[in-house]
Amino acid sequence: MAGRALYDTHAPRVYSLAYRLSGDAEKAREATQDTFIRAFSRLSQFRGDAAFSTWLHRIVVSVVSNSRRTDVRFGREVALDEAQSIAVMAPESDPDLKECIARSVERLSDAYRTTLIMHDIEGYTHAEIAEILGVPEGTSKSRLSAARAQMRQDLAAFRE
Amino acid sequence: MEENRFDDVLRGLPRTFNDPPTPPLDEMWAVIEDKHFNPPASAPQWSRSRSLLPWLAAAATLVIGIGIGRNLSVDAPTPQAISQPVSPTTATSASQSEVVDAYRDETTQYLGQTAALLISLPAAGAPDLSDARFAGTASDLLVTTRLLMDSPAAQDPKLRGLLEDLELVLVQIARLRVERNKSDLDLIHQTVEQGDVMSRLNTAVVTNQSGE
Repeated sequence: MAGRALYDTHAPRVYSLAYRLSGDAEKAREATQDTFIRAFSRLSQFRGDAAFSTWLHRIVVSVVSNSRRTDVRFGREVALDEAQSIAVMAPESDPDLKECIARSVERLSDAYRTTLIMHDIEGYTHAEIAEILGVPEGTSKSRLSAARAQMRQDLAAFRE
Repeated sequence: MEENRFDDVLRGLPRTFNDPPTPPLDEMWAVIEDKHFNPPASAPQWSRSRSLLPWLAAAATLVIGIGIGRNLSVDAPTPQAISQPVSPTTATSASQSEVVDAYRDETTQYLGQTAALLISLPAAGAPDLSDARFAGTASDLLVTTRLLMDSPAAQDPKLRGLLEDLELVLVQIARLRVERNKSDLDLIHQTVEQGDVMSRLNTAVVTNQSGE
């Protein structure tokens, strides 16, 4: 089936992005499923003005973002106060750099976080990010720069 | 943290931040296949989203149509075959079954294209209602509809009834080009729903494909 071939080609990267953004296997799985169901339902609306993969990634970013907003609304996300504690965390109170990094990324705004994850973790180019998120390339670059600056500040207190 | 150390942190992010497990591809596909390609026949969703099921059915039709289109042999009849009336001389020179096959293939292709158009229509109430693309395609399909109605393909009463309903729907879509508004689009969706058009399209495609 053509649909399965399409799925096999794109699903691994869609799932990977969904997992990076959500940090949860079940949510990544649901987001991937939802993305392909939406894509197949709207296949005839795909005009070919962007790469099919770009279109898919646009959907998955939107799906995960909506899910995160819902989680925040219903208090299922890490409380902001808790995330912000990283900024004032004494180095000796949490020596786990990995944990600090994770909290720092979580503390970023949605736009900064998505851009950082897509560029620095998943390896998308600024051109790809711009097309997927529907923003100018310059915006993608400035968001990444701001995200890194905020992380640098968060992790400044950390000593090995 | 030193600058170099921070650069190391960034470089290590792919390994340290939410490193994804192996995706459960088959399990996810099973859900997608079930929800998209095999929608429940009696899902009671009409009151919440009255236009959802027809579009899911249309998606299935579209997939069938694409499959049929890909499987058409290279010597399948061209669209011109419809526009040329079969004269008695032609009929006697070609075998009757070949003529029937030609019309059946053309009808199947037409039904797939029509399903594709109907599924691509914006949902009722959508902000961007449509564009000239829909109207143009509908006009082209309308011509084919009327040619098929005058052809031996319409001898089947069920197919003829479906063609008549599709003619009505296509006329409405073609008119969107000049008098597009939300109520027109609602009316089209109502016509499709009330006439059970998508379900009959599905049946017609399957029937044509099997040559019954």
